[in-house]
Amino acid sequence: MSALHIRREAAQNALNTLLKQPLATLMTIFALAIVLALPVGLFAALNNLQQLLGQWRDQAQISLFIHQDATEQDIQQLQKQLQGSTGVVNVRYVGKEAALKTFEKNAGMTAAIKILGENPLPASFIVELNPLSESPAALQAQVQKWARQPGVASAQSDLHWVARLQAILALGKRAVWILAIMLAVGAILVMGNTIRLHIAQRRDEIDIASLVGATRAFIRRPFLYQGLIQGAIAGILAWIIIAITIAILQGPVDRLATLYGTRFQLLGLTGLEGLILIIISAILGWLGSRLAVGQHLDHTFS
Amino acid sequence: MIEFINVTKHYPGRHHVLRELNLKLPTGQMALLTGPSGAGKSTLLKLLLRLEDVSHGTLMVNGVDVSTLKKRHIPAYRRRIGVVFQDHKLLMDRDVFNNVALTLQVSGVSGKQIQSRVRAALEKVGLGNRIHNLPATLSGGEQQRVGIARAIVHTPEILLADEPTGNLDGSLSTEILDLFRDFHQHGTTVLVATHDQSQVERLGLPVFHLEQGMLQNSKEKSA
Ligand SMILES: Nc1ncnc2c1ncn2[C@@H]1O[C@H](COP(=O)(O)OP(=O)(O)OP(=O)(O)O)[C@@H](O)[C@H]1O
Ligand SMILES: [Mg+2]
Repeated sequence: MSALHIRREAAQNALNTLLKQPLATLMTIFALAIVLALPVGLFAALNNLQQLLGQWRDQAQISLFIHQDATEQDIQQLQKQLQGSTGVVNVRYVGKEAALKTFEKNAGMTAAIKILGENPLPASFIVELNPLSESPAALQAQVQKWARQPGVASAQSDLHWVARLQAILALGKRAVWILAIMLAVGAILVMGNTIRLHIAQRRDEIDIASLVGATRAFIRRPFLYQGLIQGAIAGILAWIIIAITIAILQGPVDRLATLYGTRFQLLGLTGLEGLILIIISAILGWLGSRLAVGQHLDHTFS
Repeated sequence: MIEFINVTKHYPGRHHVLRELNLKLPTGQMALLTGPSGAGKSTLLKLLLRLEDVSHGTLMVNGVDVSTLKKRHIPAYRRRIGVVFQDHKLLMDRDVFNNVALTLQVSGVSGKQIQSRVRAALEKVGLGNRIHNLPATLSGGEQQRVGIARAIVHTPEILLADEPTGNLDGSLSTEILDLFRDFHQHGTTVLVATHDQSQVERLGLPVFHLEQGMLQNSKEKSA
């Protein structure tokens, strides 16, 4: 019963039905595509935001002050350890002399220092972190670990900003997920309603097929394929909508980035992500028609 | 063999439509089902197709207990039966060929086989030259013959017809009923519900006469 040619005929049947009413088919596909493009577009936007914030590494900067008695070896070992740690983007060594120079320049207290006769400022490592690489707690734990290393006198860090940033991003992600789930349900209902109308239009055909011994699977199959096909096409269309949106936004983003003296390339969907979008969309279409078929085929006299 | 054993049928919230019905139609036989309007003729045929469930009793068809047949086995069972209706139940947006082909498509017959078998069935009912017509372009008698071709294209074991000549005039009725008799002479079990008293007399076939859901034994004679 499930020979290949039966599936092929069902697919042909589904395609014919869709092509017979091109306007209705297109409207359904566009509606689905928009419903899908919205959450996926927001995911892409969050992804870009994350990318951008990850570049604000000077916002998550940690100073490790070196002990006066630290040996050259201690310092070198520490530097190696810092560079090898997760989330570390850059490690900069600031020697006593350099620290003094900066201090003098910034504070203008040359006279006061001169009176002391000796340079009281410690050497330090400035560690720049990607603020999104780890949870704030994990980053904090890492900083504390560094502070206990031989040669380290103390650590100074302000990770409140990181915690706040991550909390906001987590909130954004959660909100987009909720929206995505609601819109997925919406997509299923749109498809379900479309298929319901198709079923109503083809009531006679369904009844007669059932009368001459068609199985439920046989009757259902063309409708399921209709949902699958429309869902997949809607997925492709949603991908295109997102790509066009990103292309349109890249210009203004370039101008904005130039004002801040940086460059920023907006990220679209990767090939794999696009493929997943199409598959999910096809599955939603299938689920929608499955829902309609499950409800409305049972009213047949079989 | 069709065998009703103490079959009772009532629709939800209604009196019995068929009452303790006992009826036997041996394999290869043809019989007519008569009775006044509302007697339960269509209901009896619907039970045979499992379009309706038996309320009480047992209905056996060629070794299958139709009264307890599981839902998922109904399609396969229906493919062993052919059925013709008074109103043809043709699909008006499909040509004659595709109307008849439907019976074979649902059983997964391949396209090539469908071509030859549909043509053969249409030849049998005398519509070999109307293969690509739409039903609306055919006369009532021709439409009914398309319905018959659809019912016999898969060479069913049993052929059922519910007033197949109800809309046709005398000579057309004769043609159609003679077609059924042909199939019966080729070994198919045939049961035809009809109002048409003149045809009943002309054919001289066994008759099951229903009144208020009960069989009038007097006319059951030779069946
Ligand atoms: N689906 C149904 N629900 C409730 N009652 C029904 C249903 N179908 C038929 N009946 C009732 O069952 C009785 C028998 O109907 P049936 O159609 O079997 O009669 P019939 O002998 O075929 O009549 P006719 O010669 O007019 O076609 C009638 O009283 C009818 O109203
Ligand atoms: Mg009737």
